[in-house]
Amino acid sequence: MDRDTVTRVAKVARLELTEEELVSFHSDLEKVLDYLSVLDEAPESGSFNFNPIPVEDVLRDDVPVQEHDPAVLLRDMRTYQDYIRGPLL
Amino acid sequence: MFCAINPDLDHLQDGQFDFHFSAKDNLTTVGLPTRAGSRILEGYRPAFDAHAVEAMRQAGGLLLGKTNMDEFGFGTFSTNSAFGVPRNPFDLDRSCGGSSGGAACATAVLDGHVALGVSTGGSISCPAAFCGVMGLTPTYGRVSRHGLLDYGNSLDKVGLISRRAADLEMHLRNIAGPDPRDPTSCAQPPMGKSAPVRSIAVPKDALEGVSDEVSRSFQDALDRLRDDLGLKVETVETPSFRFAMPSYYVLGCSEASTNLARYCGLRYGVQSEEITEHFDKYFSRIRSENFGREAKRRILLGTFARMVGFRDRYYMKALQVRELIIQEYQRVFQDHDLLLTPAMPFTAPRFDAIDDMDILEVYKADYLTIPPNISGMPHLSMPCGYAQGMPVGMQFVANHWQEGLLFDIAQRWEEAFRLRAPEVTA
Amino acid sequence: MRIGLEVHVQLPTRSKLFCSCPTSAQEPNTAVCPTCLGMPGSRPSMNRAAMEMGLMLAKMLGCRIPERTWFSRKTYFYPDLAKHFQITQYDTPVGEHGVYKFQGKDIRIRRVHLEEDPGKIKRVGRAGEESSLIDYNRSGIPLVEIVTEPDISSPAEARQFLSDLLTEIRHVIDLPEDGERSVRADCNISVGHERVEVKNVTGLKNVERALTFEAVRQTKLLRAGKKVERETRRFDEERKVTLAARKKEFEEDYGYIGEPDLGIFNIGDMARALALKETPLQTAERFQRDYGLNPQMSRQLVQTSMDLARLFEHMAEKVPVADVLPWITGTISSLWSELESLDDEMRDAMTGLVASCSRGEMNDQECQMRLRALITGEELTLLQSGAEELEGTIEDYLDRNPAVMEDYRKNEKSANRVIGEVMKASGGKYSSSQVVEAVRKAMESRR
Repeated sequence: MDRDTVTRVAKVARLELTEEELVSFHSDLEKVLDYLSVLDEAPESGSFNFNPIPVEDVLRDDVPVQEHDPAVLLRDMRTYQDYIRGPLL
Repeated sequence: MFCAINPDLDHLQDGQFDFHFSAKDNLTTVGLPTRAGSRILEGYRPAFDAHAVEAMRQAGGLLLGKTNMDEFGFGTFSTNSAFGVPRNPFDLDRSCGGSSGGAACATAVLDGHVALGVSTGGSISCPAAFCGVMGLTPTYGRVSRHGLLDYGNSLDKVGLISRRAADLEMHLRNIAGPDPRDPTSCAQPPMGKSAPVRSIAVPKDALEGVSDEVSRSFQDALDRLRDDLGLKVETVETPSFRFAMPSYYVLGCSEASTNLARYCGLRYGVQSEEITEHFDKYFSRIRSENFGREAKRRILLGTFARMVGFRDRYYMKALQVRELIIQEYQRVFQDHDLLLTPAMPFTAPRFDAIDDMDILEVYKADYLTIPPNISGMPHLSMPCGYAQGMPVGMQFVANHWQEGLLFDIAQRWEEAFRLRAPEVTA
Repeated sequence: MRIGLEVHVQLPTRSKLFCSCPTSAQEPNTAVCPTCLGMPGSRPSMNRAAMEMGLMLAKMLGCRIPERTWFSRKTYFYPDLAKHFQITQYDTPVGEHGVYKFQGKDIRIRRVHLEEDPGKIKRVGRAGEESSLIDYNRSGIPLVEIVTEPDISSPAEARQFLSDLLTEIRHVIDLPEDGERSVRADCNISVGHERVEVKNVTGLKNVERALTFEAVRQTKLLRAGKKVERETRRFDEERKVTLAARKKEFEEDYGYIGEPDLGIFNIGDMARALALKETPLQTAERFQRDYGLNPQMSRQLVQTSMDLARLFEHMAEKVPVADVLPWITGTISSLWSELESLDDEMRDAMTGLVASCSRGEMNDQECQMRLRALITGEELTLLQSGAEELEGTIEDYLDRNPAVMEDYRKNEKSANRVIGEVMKASGGKYSSSQVVEAVRKAMESRR
């Protein structure tokens, strides 16, 4: 992993790294990736799941319910006339 | 060890409650801050209790407070919190372990306490071992994760830390069960009683890389399991376990990097009063200023592992490896009730020693706790000895949904082994 | 010219895709909960109705449906996306490799998948440095995305394709009439070799406008010997032009991973268990085949109402088509909006009338009156006396103006004068169709 890749990954992840962080994360990630190469030795099984146990067909009925008062959920948000104020576009 | 105390404690009367408990700071609580050890969640006031907290309150529990932890669960020593570092009650210069360090510490020093912990890769077993208490991590999906601030959604388990085997069983029954707010909890069979444990498998290389003092305690424990409890103890081969750790870091960090994307200074937690920056700039600034070092490191690793061009080699491969490890466990469980290893390769390290560890040494410290965690197997960390005054832990692993076997061994070992309380008190 | 569309349609569920918030809300940020606000500790759960609608559409478009499906996280940062990842489908869409028959040609469907809508942003302030005001009511509304291959060959065709597609969708999943306004499409168009994507165009008209503008722009560039740049543009609805979207600092990498919070879904069985209704345009085609209806008439029939189309079929089983059609497209069609409900009893009664008329047991006038009484609930006797009265008025007029008949024999259009006069004289007592029919009948008999 080269430095440019670290910079690019940080950008994708919306992290601004200081020069010191860039240097140290670069070295950390190189070590970790080097270690991760053990994975290449593992056999390909082809089969995979996104959970360690089978979770299948858990479906909810289409019935509208509101358990929480939206006013409580919004109490700590910065708002303007019921809209949430966001950053510039 | 606590990073927030229940503000109502003074007004509450002891007799009102049947027991006291605490919640790890990554479980949401109404009326108490929930920051998961992160500065970025400063100010967040959850509108709802996590399922496990709600269930413990309903069972008659008094919530004392929130226990400190590594930021979002990223750590092995509870040194990665924005809100101080809990110290080991057996030696204040040493770590409590992590990431549920505050939870284990509270359990060690408060008589009759039960702590809600969370494990992704060993965050219950590790601190339980370092603090000389019992830590139960149930099967993945046994306890609803509603209200848990996610680290890795396919890995996170809400569990319990206590000093009494009976408490583990009683409270797991309180917090387990299907909850429609977490679909992954809806796949579980009911929790039954099991036949007594008869045979235990120990991986051939279980003691490779383990310190001498931990090895000695573990060997003694094996002898007692054989001689005093009358269990059959056999050695097994588990070649694919060596792939568990790399897979874990790939899966855990990949999932974490998406879970943490939401923390950006909007809607909750740290927020600017007036935002005058472009969104990319604003999100990046808030995240860079408020995430800790380990969080950033894991976000970078996870973002990388799922990027175009690397996804197949890392993320997709790690998913396949997880299946392999599950199969390996299930092979072992055809002939044995439980699998046993030490919980940690060493006893609680001193803080100055931790400072000198490089990143890979820290990651590798979890190599015994990761296999059951990545495969969703229920496991139990029990104290099995003391070395120079510091507790040593061993870890029993059972097949999916077989928590009953863990309750049985916990009770029988509890009778055979004298648990020490630390001399310092809170 | 090659055009491909990525069509987004909001599904008409009552609750959102991954939480139980209602899908209808007036005030901003009132239909929200921890899940669709992306609050820490919340998680998704899957709406069965949305899954079924997705499968129906995949079936309707002749897609291959996989046995198992799951969802994925598409991670990117934008203020309207609460979790900063969108739960969508990546490796296993609910449908792939479909085809849509359209005006005698095949439009290939690349994929059909389900995903959640982000929130809605209101832009305020000066262009270039606009602030965002966010309404999360839309966050988590179920969307189906239908992606076509670039098989469409003109902007007008794109619009007609979308219009037809919507007719079908509306019928299959009971999409409300105003669903059209919430249709959004990403339009891909290449005149030469390079493809340009116009993102997020709302509504059918705008799709055609955006594509037309883009076709002209690209053609001009190519004629001038310039190159079309491969890029993403947006459509300015006010000025009706496409504009280069602000260049991103770098390419986003969505880093898709599986969504572990929902598990997997065995949709093969689910899809097989779902009965798919014949779509209106399929019905129209079948009518052409089976009953020899002309394309225009069969289309008009299904577009008036699928119930009318079904009534036609029911009658055609018992009565010769030639005797059914005039009633279906005439009297019954014109009174259709007054019909309260079409239950079996009503259906059989109408069929009975048409049948006996066809057998010659009653004349056309009688049949028309009885149908009218049946549909509108007006008293038959009143109608009868009304009809007699109307006849009297017409006969009267014709008696007093014999010249009209002379004209009529030369040019049938002169009937219009009679119709107009009678309408005026009767002061809107009779419907125009009634007057027209009666006048023609009276004049024919005098011819």
